[in-house]
Amino acid sequence: MRKQKSFPFLTQESRVEQQDGVVAPPSSAPPVTVQQQANSKPKRQKSNALRAGLAIVSGRAAGALSRRLHLGGGTSIVGAVAQRLYPDIIEHLASQLEYGCVIVTGTNGKTTTSGFVSAIINDAGLRVWRNREGANLLRGVASSLVIRALPNGHLRRSGHAISVLEIDEAVLPQIVQVITPRVIVFTNLFRDQLDRYGEVDSVLAYWKQAIAALPATTTLILNADDPAIAALGIQYPGPIIYYGIDDLSFDLLSQQQTPSQHQVMDTRTCPMCGATYEYEMRFYSHMGHYKCPTCGQRRPQPNVRATQIETSGFDRLSMYITTPTYGDKLIVPLPGLYNIYNALAAVATAQALSISWEPVVSGIEQFKPAFGRGERIQVEGRTLRLLLAKNPTGFNEVLRTLFQEQQPRHVFFILNDNAADGRDVSWIWDVDFERAAGLLKTVVVGGTRALDLSLRLKYAGVPLENLIIVPSTPLRTIRSPKSSRKRKTRANRSDNAITALATTPDGNELYRPYGYGLKNALNTALQQTPIGETLFIVPTYTGLLEVHHELEQRGLAPHYWEGRDA
Amino acid sequence: MTYHITHPLTLTLGHLYPDQLNLYGDRGNITTLRWRCQQRGITLRVVGLGIGDALAPDEYDMLFIGGGQDREQAPVAQDLYEVKGIGLWAAIEDDMPVLAVCGGYQLLAHYYRPAEGPDMRGLGVFDAWTIHKGPRSPRCIGDIAISWNGSTLVGFENHGGRTYLGSAKPLGRVLKGYGNNAEDHSEGAIYRNAYGTYMHGSLLPKNPHFADHLILLALQRKYGIKDVSMLQNEDGKLNGSAHLSAKANGSAPALATLDETTALLPPLNDTLEWEAHAAILERLGLYREAAMTLQTRRQL
Repeated sequence: MRKQKSFPFLTQESRVEQQDGVVAPPSSAPPVTVQQQANSKPKRQKSNALRAGLAIVSGRAAGALSRRLHLGGGTSIVGAVAQRLYPDIIEHLASQLEYGCVIVTGTNGKTTTSGFVSAIINDAGLRVWRNREGANLLRGVASSLVIRALPNGHLRRSGHAISVLEIDEAVLPQIVQVITPRVIVFTNLFRDQLDRYGEVDSVLAYWKQAIAALPATTTLILNADDPAIAALGIQYPGPIIYYGIDDLSFDLLSQQQTPSQHQVMDTRTCPMCGATYEYEMRFYSHMGHYKCPTCGQRRPQPNVRATQIETSGFDRLSMYITTPTYGDKLIVPLPGLYNIYNALAAVATAQALSISWEPVVSGIEQFKPAFGRGERIQVEGRTLRLLLAKNPTGFNEVLRTLFQEQQPRHVFFILNDNAADGRDVSWIWDVDFERAAGLLKTVVVGGTRALDLSLRLKYAGVPLENLIIVPSTPLRTIRSPKSSRKRKTRANRSDNAITALATTPDGNELYRPYGYGLKNALNTALQQTPIGETLFIVPTYTGLLEVHHELEQRGLAPHYWEGRDA
Repeated sequence: MTYHITHPLTLTLGHLYPDQLNLYGDRGNITTLRWRCQQRGITLRVVGLGIGDALAPDEYDMLFIGGGQDREQAPVAQDLYEVKGIGLWAAIEDDMPVLAVCGGYQLLAHYYRPAEGPDMRGLGVFDAWTIHKGPRSPRCIGDIAISWNGSTLVGFENHGGRTYLGSAKPLGRVLKGYGNNAEDHSEGAIYRNAYGTYMHGSLLPKNPHFADHLILLALQRKYGIKDVSMLQNEDGKLNGSAHLSAKANGSAPALATLDETTALLPPLNDTLEWEAHAAILERLGLYREAAMTLQTRRQL
């Protein structure tokens, strides 16, 4: 069942239609309006509402039980159970949202972009519903809707509400099957977790499939500077807003680059003819002003542009934004060139939703960094900054942000290879750690693959004696004889012989004086940072979860979904 | 017999298709070779060879070819066959050390048969071929360890194609992981001094003995040192298998004295490398091999 809906582009004048089962919005109507033609089929809806009600009650009961029994966070099970009982649950609930749905997808910047978009829409006077951090698969979206639904199959307070959903790249085709979004934002496309997503081209294939299934009423927000993203707009019949950077001073090509700093590009060739793109200007990886020398395919002229970009301080970027309707200065309170793109994507989304300029400014300028994306935490007189880096381009940009002013810093790297990080850590060799080599005041390396990252740093020119390595677990062969005797059940004779040999005092370089595990690593990194200075924590995804959890345990950081709608 | 080399040693590494075949941290292999040469006072010059560039075998001492996306691989395959084929063959027949990883390895075998579409013709350096059995056959993804030359090599593999060896000699036997085809426990292929493998991770940083092996082969070839031997050859085991591998390569097996090898490639402090190597072995449950690695390498 798909409700017939139309989401025409609307003007500032609000025309709000009252809908069945939906609370009428207050008279002070928000600047965005959606005209909905509720296609009522009372009889079928009633039986569906019954099924939905059952699914909602069961899902929430399962979630409560799971939390009670400490089986897990109890969030994904809510959606899983509800979907099992009523496969169309997402469609059923999402179609009740009065202002529809905005979807954000892409390799990097999803969380911050949807954060910006939510803040803007909030400031424009609408209720915003988001899916929780990490819950970006179908199940997670189902959960986020079910926990807000009533047993009668209706969403609570669906009037005056819009959902902003952060969606995993590979899940997009499935999501657009069940939700017809008003807007889809594509941030960028880089290599990421090759063992999970496959190559960049397979992600593109998913996206093309999703776009082909869209009605021409959905607005695409596309990054003009990313050739793979911009090419998604070719042949799309509906509205498109392109965004991009038009500031020459950020050109990589004009900056001095050593061959070892050569950045990997994930999109090099024109999708139309296969020729290699030529760049007039390149900002990072394959982001820039490009054109195909053979067929003339080139960067589209962006509708939302940033010029006169200036960095003033670590996390204060000021720029001039031009849109078809506005032109004004904007401050982005986050570090890094990539956050300019995130802000531009949010401005473009506001354009698509016909939101006026004031909420855009207030939403972005008063933005609090999202979980682990520039988040700031005070600990024992030191400032912690958490900067998630989960793929080569993301990591390169974090390093550039940290070291572009050639200022030495205290850094704590965490490299994990859990399923959510990707099992393959080869990509660290594509990251320009050479940039950081001379600028690490102190460096602590932790995580399940701490040894790999330490090796990378060694080969980047960081002296071994400066590296503090705190792996998550000791090698079994060099565990102390004492502890191995405790675990003797499985140890055989040769193990014991080796253990004894490995722990002899002479030349025992394998001994890790700072211990093992994330707690020790964090403590060491904090001790290495003098009071009053800043420690930059650069973790992969599960590393971020672990270090955040540790900080929550110590009462230093808010629980990570606190303040969220969930 | 000791070699006295008065002028600084230089080696030139040809990096084939650095822009197209760079998917899995292949830069790490180049970084490792450069760093390990630099530590010994050897200058390693790296020359990128893109599509359309000719390969003049005389100009290089070592070649590297990585893996890439399918879309990038087709034009590369054509260029490899039509432009660089003769030069590459000449280099390999002249015992130039060549390392080919993943896609590069597939391109040096006879052909790659994708799940759909026409076969991709390879150079046929290795008597082997690769077949992708369709989307329903799972990719081989995960950590891998193989035995090589009496020691171990560790890495990460991620390939959809299954490679089957004809008369080509495998690089090693799979201890844990999938290897060439997940069936016969073989991994990689060797022809003269050309090595093909599915192992990235990157391969060379955590396998410093293999990196030094390649450097040594290049030095011996360039500076006319006849004795084939392994680095760190005081280890009896290693020497024995170096002997074997030399025989298999068709060159005269001989034992070098410690002087010769260390004069060329003095041992480095590779504790961290071996610890990382052992960590992968332990993750795969190969505790004995991990212990052996730490034990033998620490005595150096």
